[in-house]
Amino acid sequence: MGLAKYIIRRAIYMVPLIIGISLVSFLVMYAAGDPIQLATAGNPSITEAQRQFLREYYGLNDPIPVQYLRWLDHFIHGDFGKSLYGGRPVNEIISSLVWETAKLQLISILLAFFISIPAGVYSAVKQRSAADYTVSSVAIFGISVPVFWFGIVLILVFSYYLGWLPSAGAHGAPYLWPVFGIKNEFLDELAHLVLPVTVLTFANLAYNVRLLRAGMLEVLRQDYILAARASGIPERKILYKYALKNAITPLLTLLGLSIGTMLAGAPVTETVFSWPGLGRAYVTASLRLDFPLIMGITMIITIMILIANLVTDLVYAWVDPRVTID
Amino acid sequence: MNLLEIENLKTYFFTEAGVVKAVDDVTLSVERGCTVGLVGESGSGKSVTAQSVLRIVPRPGKIIGGKILFNGEDLLIKKEEEMRKYRGKKISLIFQDPTSSLNPLFTIGSQLADIVIEHEKVKKDEALEQVVKALRIVKLPDPDHAIYQYPHQFSGGMKQRICIARALLLNPELLFADEPTTNLDVTIQAQIIALLKDLQREFGMTLVMITHDMGIVAEMCKYVVVLYAGNVMESGSIEEIFERPHPYTEALLKAVPRLDETRKLISIPGNIPNLIDPPSGCRFHPRCQYAIDLCKERKPELEDVGNSHFISCHRWRELQGGRY
Repeated sequence: MGLAKYIIRRAIYMVPLIIGISLVSFLVMYAAGDPIQLATAGNPSITEAQRQFLREYYGLNDPIPVQYLRWLDHFIHGDFGKSLYGGRPVNEIISSLVWETAKLQLISILLAFFISIPAGVYSAVKQRSAADYTVSSVAIFGISVPVFWFGIVLILVFSYYLGWLPSAGAHGAPYLWPVFGIKNEFLDELAHLVLPVTVLTFANLAYNVRLLRAGMLEVLRQDYILAARASGIPERKILYKYALKNAITPLLTLLGLSIGTMLAGAPVTETVFSWPGLGRAYVTASLRLDFPLIMGITMIITIMILIANLVTDLVYAWVDPRVTID
Repeated sequence: MNLLEIENLKTYFFTEAGVVKAVDDVTLSVERGCTVGLVGESGSGKSVTAQSVLRIVPRPGKIIGGKILFNGEDLLIKKEEEMRKYRGKKISLIFQDPTSSLNPLFTIGSQLADIVIEHEKVKKDEALEQVVKALRIVKLPDPDHAIYQYPHQFSGGMKQRICIARALLLNPELLFADEPTTNLDVTIQAQIIALLKDLQREFGMTLVMITHDMGIVAEMCKYVVVLYAGNVMESGSIEEIFERPHPYTEALLKAVPRLDETRKLISIPGNIPNLIDPPSGCRFHPRCQYAIDLCKERKPELEDVGNSHFISCHRWRELQGGRY
C-alpha cells in the first residue's frame, strides 16, 4: 500500500534531520559556555585543579567531535546520559515530567480546538454583529494578554482571595484550598489543572477562533455554498458539513503544530504555576548549561515535532482528496 | 396561469459604498413549458433575479419589494423552512462555473445524494440510485463509478453535466441556467446547449436561460426578457425582439458577429452604469444613440405594444416609423 511506503519513506527522511538538529544543538550548546565554571562560580573555595577534575569526569575535555559521537552512540542506544546536577539519568527525569506537560497541554489544545469550532463558525455567520464583536474582542484579548499576567491574576483571585483552587504544582496540597475538602486523587489532579488549563486554553483559543472565522468567511463566499443553498440543503448542514470541512484545514495545521511543539510549549505557564513539567525543566537546564538534559529534551521535542508534522500531512490528505501523498 | 410571475421585484445590495440597486422594479413572467431567455450585459441583474426567486441572494443583498408568484403563490411571504423545500425540488439553478459550484471535498455521490435525502427522507443507497439515474440522463460516462469520485477528477464539461444532473435530480418545475456555458470551451458549449435543449424537450421543463449570448437565445428560446442595469428594457417573443427591437437590444444585436454579413462589429459605447447612483430617466440613455432630453428626465413605462411585446422606451414607436 502507498500509505505504508509513504510513512516509511518519511521516517527515513527523519534520520538525517534528527542528526542535523542534534549536531547544531550540540555546537550551540558548547558555544554557550562552560558548565563547570558556571556550576562552581558561587564556590570560593574550589580550586582550578578540582574544576579540571570535574571536566575530566564528565568528558568535557575531549575534542568536541569525540564528545558528539559519544553522545550520538548513547542516543542511538536510547540513553541520554546523566544530569550534571544530581546525577539522575536524563531518561528518568524526562519520563517523570513528560506526562505532566502532555496532560496540561493536550487538554488545553483540544479544549481550544473544540471550543473554537462553534465560536468561529458563529462569529463568521453573524459577521459584524454584537456576538461577532464579542468573540473577536475576547480573541484579541487572549492573543494580547501575556500568559504570566493572566496566570498571576487567576492565582490571585481563585487561590489567594477565594481559596478555591491550588496555585501551584500538579498534585497534593489540599490544605491550600479547604473549601471543597477534596480527598479524591483524581479530583485533586483536576483541581490543580483548572487554572493552568484555563490560561493555556485561552491563549490557544484566540488563534483558533480567528483562523476559523477567517476561513469560514472565505468559504461562505464560494459558489458551492450558494449551490448547496440553492439545492435546499438546510443551513446547519451547509455550515457544519460543507463549509466547515473546507475552512478547517488551517486549523488542523495549527493543531498539528501545537501538538508537535507542546512539550516545549508552555515554559512560562509552567513556571507561573510551578508545574512539574518539561518546559520548566528545559528552561532551568538551559540556564544551568546542564548539557545532557538540554540535549535529551531537545531530542524529545524534535522527534515529537517530526511525528506531528507527518501526522498532520496524513490528516490533510485524508480531509482533502486533492492532496495526494507520494 | 404562468408558472412564474415576477412583479416589481427590487433587490438591493447594502454595501459600505452605498445601496446598489441591482434589480430595480423588474417585472416578467415565464409560461409553463417554455424556454425564456434572460438577457443582458454583466451586472444587469440577471443572476440576482434568479437568486431572488430562490431567495438565496448573498449578503449584503436583500429583496426589499415586489412579488414572486410561483404557481400563483407568493414566494416572498413564505417562511424560510417552507422556502427551503422549494429549492432544488421545485426550482433549481445551474451555476455559471461548474468548478466552483461543486464542493471539492465531497464525492459527487455524497453531495448529490444529500439533496435527495434532505427533500425525500430516503435512505442513502436509495438516494444514490436516484443520483446515478440523473447522471445517466445527462450522459455522464460510467455514473456508477462517478459517484465515488471527487469534482477535481472530472473535466469542465463533465462537471457541468454533473451540475445539470444536480439541478434535475428532483424533477423541478422551473430551472434557471445561469450562463451555463460561459466557462466552457466552444465545442463543449455546443454539447451542453444541445443537452439542455434535449432535456427541456424530453421533460417539458420550464427553463430560464440566463445569458448574454444572443446566439444561444436565438437557438433555444421562445421568449426573451432583456435587462439593463436592473431594469427590464423589453420582453417579447424571439421574433418580435429580433425584428422590432428596443434600442438597447438593437445595439446588443449589432455587437454579435455574423457569418452571412460583412460589416463591422459595433460595440455599445461606455460601460454599464454605477448602480449606486443610476442614471435618471431611462437607465440606458447615456449610451443610447437615439436618446433625447425626455429620456433623461422621465423613466419610460414598460408598455404593451401588441403581440405580447413589452417595451420600455420613449422613442420606440417613432423609431419603428409610427407603425405601432
